Amino acid sequence: MDFDLSPELEDYRKKVREFALKEFREDIAQKHDLEEKYPDDLRLKALENGIIDFTNPWKTMLGIEEMCRVDPGLGISATVPYFGAEILLLHGSDYLKEKYLSKVAAGQKIMGLGVTEPGGGSDVAGLKTNAKKDGNRYILNGSKMFITNGSIGDFFVTLVRTADPDPPSKRHRGLSVLVVESAFKGFSSSKLKGKLGVRATNTAELIFNNVEIPQENLVGEEGKGFYYVMEFFNISRVFVAAQSLGIAQGALDMATEFLMEQEKNGISVSEELKFKLSEMATRTEAARLLMYKAASYLFNYKPNPTITSMAKGYASETAAFCAETAMEITGMTGLSTKLERFFRDSKIMEIWEGTSEVEKIVISRMILKGDGNE
Amino acid sequence: MNDQVQMLLDNVKQFCEQNIRDIALNIERNRIPDQIFSALREQGFIGANLPSSSGGADLDRASYDAILFQIAEYSPSVAYYVYMNNSIILPLLLKAGKKELAADIISGKERVGLSAGNILEGVGIKTTFQETAIFPSNFMISAGSDGSIALLKGTFEESGRKSLGLRGLGIGIRSFSVEKTEKIGRKEDMEKIFVDSSWEQAAIFLGLSQGAIEKAVEYTKVRKTFNFPLKDYSPVAFRLSELKSDLEMMKFYLFSEDGDREKGLMLKTRAADFSRKATKYALQYHGGYGYLEDFGVEKFYRDSVALNAVMFRTDVDRRILAESIYKSKTGYL
Repeated sequence: MDFDLSPELEDYRKKVREFALKEFREDIAQKHDLEEKYPDDLRLKALENGIIDFTNPWKTMLGIEEMCRVDPGLGISATVPYFGAEILLLHGSDYLKEKYLSKVAAGQKIMGLGVTEPGGGSDVAGLKTNAKKDGNRYILNGSKMFITNGSIGDFFVTLVRTADPDPPSKRHRGLSVLVVESAFKGFSSSKLKGKLGVRATNTAELIFNNVEIPQENLVGEEGKGFYYVMEFFNISRVFVAAQSLGIAQGALDMATEFLMEQEKNGISVSEELKFKLSEMATRTEAARLLMYKAASYLFNYKPNPTITSMAKGYASETAAFCAETAMEITGMTGLSTKLERFFRDSKIMEIWEGTSEVEKIVISRMILKGDGNE
Repeated sequence: MNDQVQMLLDNVKQFCEQNIRDIALNIERNRIPDQIFSALREQGFIGANLPSSSGGADLDRASYDAILFQIAEYSPSVAYYVYMNNSIILPLLLKAGKKELAADIISGKERVGLSAGNILEGVGIKTTFQETAIFPSNFMISAGSDGSIALLKGTFEESGRKSLGLRGLGIGIRSFSVEKTEKIGRKEDMEKIFVDSSWEQAAIFLGLSQGAIEKAVEYTKVRKTFNFPLKDYSPVAFRLSELKSDLEMMKFYLFSEDGDREKGLMLKTRAADFSRKATKYALQYHGGYGYLEDFGVEKFYRDSVALNAVMFRTDVDRRILAESIYKSKTGYL
């Protein structure tokens, strides 16, 4: 068992960190946080500088971690224009890949994933948005909520109901994935303002009012949508673990710096505070190892949903724990520094891409099925 | 809890329903508006705990804590404003013989803020400093590097940056141009006032927690997932019930005990930790909606940590409690 990253990955990690430290300046991070404004220039810079590299998923994961370590809002913004791409990569036709994905990779388009609905949340299969077949097109009606890139995205990989579930108790049946362009007639979006954190990212509600979707925009097979999305979550949850880990490590960096400064100034630091720092560091390292294990399964084409949910659930709770503990350690000082932004940004990790409760449901279900681990 | 405290809680709740509930979001976005200052003054909340000879209402500890508790359920910022005036600023000014300024604060003519840190390198001279300020105003009270507490008069510059919490108070690093300084006491006076007001601080922590828990209880009754309301799921129902039980026990303690200093410290320590836990679960059970300010629960999450930063010094206050229990120097390593 080798815990070291390859020299190539180590070099990549260093390169991303240098990029983030140079480009994610505090004044820029503050401005985008305060104004709730998406940093489109950083998206393009990250692409131009080879910071975004989807040819190697280990690089994607490490890049997300390093960028979120410097600033979560900007880090997620720089990596999220490709959100949902894996569904197209794995199941999209050549036509869809060429028409949509290639443009995203070239920095010409931004995409998003439309799954969550206003009344749905964790209950993905309970979605209400429907697409009725009409000749060689679908007529789409409904809405999606909390959609990342919702008011800046050019198209959305969207989970919809195309048939009644058969039998009705199997609600996950009859769902399909369609590519919906924001330019299609009947599409509208409404930006959500006043978020607690990750305010540089764009979040919106999407409304579909008789939107006509060409049949060729169906991704994969009709009725397989639920499985595609669940498969995607297995991938994206590893990346959310990376976001979380970045936040945890960033909070640990700041708490460490604060205590070192205290000692340098002759202020005695109690063991109580040092123990808190130790716990932050230990949990962060444990979350990192769990994430590496989940990634190792996933990137070797043998995904393990139990380990993935453990990694996402634990890393997200570690992010919130570390940010909160760093606030406790720094006291008044932390209230008006970038640490407070980390604290606000951290909470969403326990909510999006499956709440902590959903991860626990997955873990316990798999264990009770006797399919938990190894 | 005696009848007087219960009656006061009911009255303050009515006051909050009429004056704070509908503008709670506005308080977060734009600081506490003038109409709230007027309403607090008219209701007699500023100076409520002070003797009538100083222009106060002479309320007992439990009654004063009831005011803070109930206001914090609606707006921790407003509750802290009442606390900082009644428990810190006015006692310091009155002790220093600044009766006129104290009367002006009670009548609403003047407002005074607090500054953290040691900024008085030269008391008596004009200077400019940058420091974390709570409720930045033309009058500020600050600790000095020489061990004094001083009243500063001057002007401050607004900052675009928002604090993590208690945003109604405009907390943040501010640049302050000092025109006049006047010593009004020693740091020990401030320290004593701070520790002696543990009950009041606990009241705010618990009021804030009640605000968050009540919101979560109501939300989980109506929000459905997988065809069942959230309240039907055991982790949600059990956790919120536990939080509510803990809260009720601490409330009972808050309003029934005799105001002993050590007991106040004990309660504050528990209430500070509890507020972080309660607000975190309250937000979590709101899911994505909890992340939006319109739902009014994320405010409690931020404020619990901000209040911990300004009212609970994790190292210092725990050591004071430990020393109170051991009756000797302890917990210093």
